[in-house]
Formats: sequence, C-alpha cells, structure tokens
Amino acid sequence: MGIFDNIEKYSWMGPLIKNADRDVRRRLLKNLRKKKDRFYPEGEYKADIKNLINCMLCPNMCRFDCGTLQASDKETIGPAYKARIGYYLSVGKIDPNDPENKEFVDLIYKCSNEETCKIWCPFEFSVVSLLETVRDDLNDQGLMPEYCKKQIEKLNQTSTIEDHNIFKTYEDKGIENIETKGDDEVFYYVGCEMMKFPEVVKANIEILKKAGVKFSTNLDQKVCCGAPALNIRDFETVNQLANKNKELIEKTGAKLVVSDCPGCVNSLTNKYQKAGIDISIDVIHIVEYFEKLFEEGKIKIQNNIPGEYKTLTIHDPCLLARNLGNTTTIRNILGKIPGLEIRDPIYNKEYTHCCGWSGTVHWADTEISVKEAQNRIEELKETGAKNIVTACPTCELGLSYGIAEEEKDNVKIIDLSILISKAI
Amino acid sequence: MNLKDLKLIYQENRKEIKNRDEIVKELRDILGEKCVSTNNIDILAYTRDSSLISLNWTIEGKIAGLPEIITWPKDEEAIIKVLEIANREKIPIVPFAEGSGVVGGAIPIQGGIILDLKNLDEIIEINEKNLTVTTQTGVNGMNLERYLNAKGYTCGHIPQSLYTSSVGGWIAHKAAGQFSTKYGKIEDIVLGMRIILPEGDKITFEPIARAATGPQLDKYFIGGEGTLGIVTKATLKIWPYPEKRNLISYAFPTMKDSLEAVRETLRENVYPAVVRIYDADETARHFEHVEKAKDKVMTVFVCEGNQKLVDLEDEITRKMCLKNSGIDCGEDPVEHWFETRFKVTETSMFPPYRIVADTIEVSVMWDNAVDLYHNVVETVKQVKGNLLITAHVSHFYPNGVGFYFTFGGVPGKGMTEFDFYKSCWNATIKAVIHSGGSIAHHHGIGINRSHFMEEEWNKGYDVMKKFKNVLDPNNILNPGKIYEKTWKNQGGNE
Ligand SMILES: Cc1cc2nc3c(=O)[nH]c(=O)nc-3n(C[C@H](O)[C@H](O)[C@H](O)COP(=O)(O)OP(=O)(O)OC[C@H]3O[C@@H](n4cnc5c(N)ncnc54)[C@H](O)[C@@H]3O)c2cc1C
Repeated sequence: MGIFDNIEKYSWMGPLIKNADRDVRRRLLKNLRKKKDRFYPEGEYKADIKNLINCMLCPNMCRFDCGTLQASDKETIGPAYKARIGYYLSVGKIDPNDPENKEFVDLIYKCSNEETCKIWCPFEFSVVSLLETVRDDLNDQGLMPEYCKKQIEKLNQTSTIEDHNIFKTYEDKGIENIETKGDDEVFYYVGCEMMKFPEVVKANIEILKKAGVKFSTNLDQKVCCGAPALNIRDFETVNQLANKNKELIEKTGAKLVVSDCPGCVNSLTNKYQKAGIDISIDVIHIVEYFEKLFEEGKIKIQNNIPGEYKTLTIHDPCLLARNLGNTTTIRNILGKIPGLEIRDPIYNKEYTHCCGWSGTVHWADTEISVKEAQNRIEELKETGAKNIVTACPTCELGLSYGIAEEEKDNVKIIDLSILISKAI
Repeated sequence: MNLKDLKLIYQENRKEIKNRDEIVKELRDILGEKCVSTNNIDILAYTRDSSLISLNWTIEGKIAGLPEIITWPKDEEAIIKVLEIANREKIPIVPFAEGSGVVGGAIPIQGGIILDLKNLDEIIEINEKNLTVTTQTGVNGMNLERYLNAKGYTCGHIPQSLYTSSVGGWIAHKAAGQFSTKYGKIEDIVLGMRIILPEGDKITFEPIARAATGPQLDKYFIGGEGTLGIVTKATLKIWPYPEKRNLISYAFPTMKDSLEAVRETLRENVYPAVVRIYDADETARHFEHVEKAKDKVMTVFVCEGNQKLVDLEDEITRKMCLKNSGIDCGEDPVEHWFETRFKVTETSMFPPYRIVADTIEVSVMWDNAVDLYHNVVETVKQVKGNLLITAHVSHFYPNGVGFYFTFGGVPGKGMTEFDFYKSCWNATIKAVIHSGGSIAHHHGIGINRSHFMEEEWNKGYDVMKKFKNVLDPNNILNPGKIYEKTWKNQGGNE
C-alpha cells in the first residue's frame, strides 16, 4: 500500500489496510496524496512541519519535566502547545505578521533550552529544536522580537552579551590577562558570563599556573561564542563571531581550548558544527581539563577545605550533563577532596533541572525564568546542604535569582574551580 | 486573531458570559492580576483535552470548546471565591488539570471559566508508618512517583499517562494504572481527600484504615469528574519500592485460553502487578519480533514485591499458563513492553492521514468476558469506514476484567470525522451493554458516554442527578458532562 510500508514501525498496519474494503483503501490513498496539500505550508519554509505535527499531537509525554511549564503552571507553556502554535504560525492559521498575534510569536521563545523533553520524547527530539526552525521563518519574515533584536545589537556592538565589552573589564576586576605569543599549549577561553564572576576566572588562572600549563586568555581580543545568536537563530551574527573565534583560536597555536562555560563549549563544538563552522581544535570544559591534570599528577590536593564548604549539593548544568554528556567530572573531582559530604538532589546528572537562565525564555518572560530558578533552588535545598556546587556561569547567575533575599546568607553557589583552587 | 473564526465543535452548547469585563475585574481583584487571563494565547490552550478526535480537530485548526476566562488559583481560598462568583452569575466552571482526559471531561463545552489546578502541586508529606503520601492534587503523576521512588516508595499507580496526568485527574476519572492487578485502581488507593463543594463548602475525609460510620460518602466523590466538587488534597497508599521483579510471558492459542490462565492464577489469590493479554492483532502489532507468538495471543506478567512471594507467584502463574496451553516466550517481550510502554507515537501518526482512532475501555465479569470481546470486535467491524478494531486486557480482578479496545478508520462518504468517531463509540458501547459489561473501566464518562448512563445505572441515574442537584443547584461545575446527553441532545457539529 505504500503509505506505511517504508515505516517499519507501522508495518502491522499493512494487513489491516490490505483487508479493508475498497472504499476505505481508496480514501486512505487519497488522504496520503493530500497530506501535504492539506497540512503543510505553501512555498518556501524552514519549519520542521513533520515534527511540529508529531509534537503538537502527542499527549505531551514530556510535560512533567518541562522546566518552563513547571515554573508557570499554565497549559499555555506546555511543550505540545508550543509546537501547536509553531505549526499554526507556519501554516498561516495564526498570522505572525499581525501585531495582535505578538503573544503567539513570543511563545516560540519561551523555552529554556534545557532539553529534558528529549529524554522522554517518543520521537527523540527536543522541543526547542523544532521551535528554532519556526524562529528561522520568523526571522526571514523580519519578525524577530524586540528583546531578541536587543541581544543581537549588543553582540554586534560589543561582541559580548553586555552593552559594553565585558572582557575589557578585566583590569578593574583584577583579572590577569595573558596574551598569546602563538605557541600556547592551551587557550583558556573565558565565557562572557564568567566575566561576571571574576573570582572564578582568577581561580582558573591560578590552577592552570600551578599545573605549569602554558596558556593564554587573550581578553583584549576575546569575543562571545555566539550562543545567544545561535538561540535567536541570527546566523549572520553567528558567522561573524564564529570567524573571529576561529581566527583567535588558531592564532594561539593551542592544541586544546578549555572554557569555563559549558555553553561556550557547546557552541564551539556541537552548534558550530551544525551551522557548518569547523573549529578543528578540541574544545572541552575546563573542569574536564582539571580532571585530566589531577590524573596526570600536575595538580594535587594539598589543603583541607574550610569547614563551611563541607556539606555540598551538586547542580549539574544542563549543558554539561545533557548536551555535552558529562555527568562524572564534577563528582570525580569532588571525590578527590577529603572530608566532603556530597548530597545529590533528586534530579541530578542527565536528569538535572535547569537554572532558568538558558535559552531565550529569560528575555521573553523573565518571570518564568525566575520561578524556574526558584524551583531548582528548592530542589537543591531539599538535600539539606547549604552549598551548591556547579560549573557554569549561566547557572550561577540563574540560580542566584532563585534565592530569596533573606536566604542569601544561608544558600551559597560555588563554582567547582573555587573549591579546587582552595584544595590544591 | 479572532478565536471565534476557528470552527467550534460544541458551538451550540456555548453560553456567553454577559458581563465578562466586570467578572474579569472582580476575579483579578481576588486572585491577582497574573492569575486571570482572557488573552487569546491562554484561551486557545484550553480548547481541547486529549480525546483522540480532538487531535484530528487540532491539525485542522478546529477547537472543541471555547472558554472565556482562564484562572490559575493558588490556593483553596481562591477556588472558593471563584465558585462564589460563578454561583452568583451562573457561569460554568471547568476544572482543568493536565488535560490528558480522553472523554471530553475537561472540554469547556459551555464556555465559561477554566479553573486550572496546576498550582496546587505541593507534595505535603510521606507517612512511613501508615504507608501514605498526602499531596495537593494538581501534582503531576510522574513527579509524585519520582519523588516517592527517591524516598524508596511507589504509589503503584502507573497509568500510561503517568507523565501527563495529575492526582486530581485520576480521582476525577477513576483511573487505573498498568500495575493495577496488584495495587488496585485509584479508588482502592485513595484513603483521604479534601473537597471544595460547588457552593464553596470545604469537606475533608481524613485518611482511615476502614470504618463503619454509615454510607461511604468519600467514595461518592471519586469519579465525580469535576461535577461534584474540586478535590484539592488527597492521601494515597504507598508501598516500599519492590525488592524483586520477575518478568514472565506466554503466548496462547486463543484469547479464551489466556483469560482462563489468568483467572485460574487469580483464584489462587496470586496477583501479579502487571497482567496484559493482547489479542492476535495487537500481538502482531507490539510483538512482531517474537517468533513463538506469531498468530497467537501474547500475555505478559510482572510479579513484584517481596522476593519469596515473587518466586511463589512466578511458580503459580507459570503453572496456570502451561495448563492452558501457554508457550513460554521468556523475559524479552516483557522487557520490550517496559521499554515501549510510554512511547506514544500513534496519536501523532493518524490525524495527518485523516484516520480517526480512539481507545475505549470497559469492564465485564469473567463469565461474559470472551463473548464481550468477540461481540465488540464483530460489531465495530461493521461500522462503515472501519479499518481496525483490536483489544488487550489490562486490568484483572478475582471476579472480572477490564478490556481496552482500539478502533480506527476513515469516515465513509458523507460522514464527518466526528460522525465516524461517534458511530464507533456508540457501536462499541452498545455491544458492551448487550454483552453484560459495564460501559467504562477507567477513562470515565465525560461527554462521550453520558448518553449511555441511563442504561448503565437505570433508576440509579435519577438518584445521581438528584445528588448533583443538591450539591450544585446552579449546575455550574462542569456542565454538559455525565448527567446530560450532550452527543444525543445537543450534537456537537463538525
Ligand atoms: C496517552 C494516554 C494514556 C492514558 N493512559 C491511561 C491509563 O493507563 N489509565 C487511566 O486511567 N487513564 C489513562 N489515560 C486517561 C487520562 O490520563 C486520565 O483520565 C487522567 O486521569 C486525567 O487526568 P488529568 O490530570 O489529565 O485530568 P484532566 O484531563 O485535566 O481532567 C479530567 C477530568 O477531571 C476533572 N478534574 C481534574 N482535576 C480535578 C480536581 N482536582 N478535582 C475535580 N475534578 C478534577 C476535570 O474537570 C475533567 O473532567 C490516558 C490518556 C492518554 C492521553
């Protein structure tokens, strides 16, 4: 019969169709022929219609783990509904050009990219991967929302996510800048967001120095990896930044790029690759590199960790645990430090929950992001540990919005590098 | 966009709120600005449930119901205030949880106000001595189960919609999980509840082991489907997470043989947690790769709990299977079932081909079980446009079973998708009644079955309506469901 033959999964339908009466078979064939005419957009489009349909007609099997839905507690933010709106915008059932429909366009950006949905998806995609294709069409129609345009403007003006070039603040923050002479072993690639946590950058530099690694930071030349533009899907900006990054990375002569931000690692590797940009040098998270340095004996635990840090819980960054597939390094390193009590939250490793600050939702609907951060903080607090260890500046920023003012003294967010620097 | 431009299926049932702006203002003053919406984006999100015909409508850009106001109450007091206004203004209120219901229960067919209960999602406490968990009812099932698992427990209530349904929805529709043969249906699991009645009074049924305190009023609210009150809190039974699980599967020559094997197992007071019998068509669909099951009736069992008991259950189950001509197919088919049991892809597959499909679950005592199966299959095959009618049996009791039928097809000439859908539903339910079965096992009544309630309950239906009237004299809570023959009297047009 053709329609199901090529789909092994539905081969059981074959005999049923064969045995159906002629009229039913005829109608089915007609429906097969008309599927595209009936349910797909006309003309050129980038939206992944097939999977938007799959997602919008699914009984929402990932909804329980969708951070934005759990934060908003509104059906409106449900994953299958986002796909439904994406589909309606794509086929013109909702006109994206009508300013009255702005709220529908905005929904396409209310995702924190955590991709927990992918774990449970019967089709094995993440909802954001579909929404991105809808964003592509919106961009082509000149319908990028203002809050996204603002980010793109900043990227174009300052080459960072801030309205000033945040890398140039290193002097004020007491961060040492090491410019390359073209013969580095390692390029320490500082993330824009990490520039907001100068103590972590300083700790990383200290650790690398202690290990005797020849490295540079190149903060005078450094630009953003382009992650925000990748999420917004402005590939002109992505390409500009990617080219600058490629050039700088190659200029260092380094055989390895290590970044303190899993978002940067994900961009420079997986996302660049998908966008057709090839960085031929290995890029890993700096804690993965530290794990290696421990193994090689280049750094050693020498000091006791101050008592206040003894009881810890781990917040696995989604980008490290799910996108980069590493759920062991943080635990392995903490395991080397004697006297620590580590209490995992219920949702850990690849099942970790988002800090709320990833993706585009924090621009589109800050309230949802803050609630998502609060939810995660509650989960982490449930362990009874007051110290939250993580390894991502975005998480450090996001989680901080989830801590109530009166609790700020009781709940501490610590980058793993800080602990390492205290212990070695 | 104007939502009124979208084709509304239950158009003729809809009543507009006259003084909507004032009501919205009043609601906002009480609930807070952010807990009330009339925005299109929010309204559209509450225009359907998960009944499969809703999916055919969704891809076509049609909507089942059209509410006017969405509310997200944060606590019981807020719910009471919304009910006060609704009673005063005679506005329909539709409780909405996760929207996974499949009989139209959460569809706002008369418009009105949606009361989304997702904010009531706090897991209050586990009582390890009593083996109970007390929770607000808006909590998602999987999030409750994951929490319990992390603490070393399980609720034992694992519907296929675990990921996409709430405790409140389970209680409303008298849900059943895949492990029900051991742990029971939700009515066996609920020990206590707090309910806000339609006029705003709160009643609490404290958890009790058993009682002799007059008629069992609490049970009357299980299966209320949002028509008798809002269940805000529930205490459920829990169990230590099973220490052992044995996986067993046998293929039988016929449905009758398989049913006999299970009946005889249960007669021994042995309750495997999971028992599922797939008819030959469903065996071909789910276990194509199992050579020994070709053209046979696959039956899977999961025995779980205390090690010694599990081994004994395993032994007795196998004995009964062999006695009834079962062929041992090993653990693999059960592992396959575990891997695929939440992978629902068919709901997305059919609507683009305008195939209309649905599932209908019913129950029957043992003595009529085989006949009911054959009667339903033969009857539904006769519906014009039918492509498939298959079944599995997934819930077992010492005295009877729960059947789960799946139908699919394409509407014949001159028929809408909705016509075809209703024809299959009506044919199935009539065959069930004719075979001495009961019309619903765990999905509830909603819209789809309300016109058969009289036949199911006879005079009892009048009593039910009287109770409804006493509790909800203004008929504000989820009107058009259970007590009204919506499909018969008011249509619903495509
Ligand atoms: C893929 C799939 C698989 C399914 N598998 C099963 C299964 O294995 N077993 C099973 O039993 N069902 C199953 N269902 C059906 C469905 O999940 C159940 O009916 C579920 O109990 C509905 O819960 P919900 O939270 O989604 O409720 P909703 O769909 O939001 O609401 C259902 C009804 O309950 C009322 N309601 C909701 N919350 C409350 C409350 N707190 N107080 C009063 N009334 C309330 C609503 O008004 C409505 O009438 C399945 C559905 C799907 C889509």
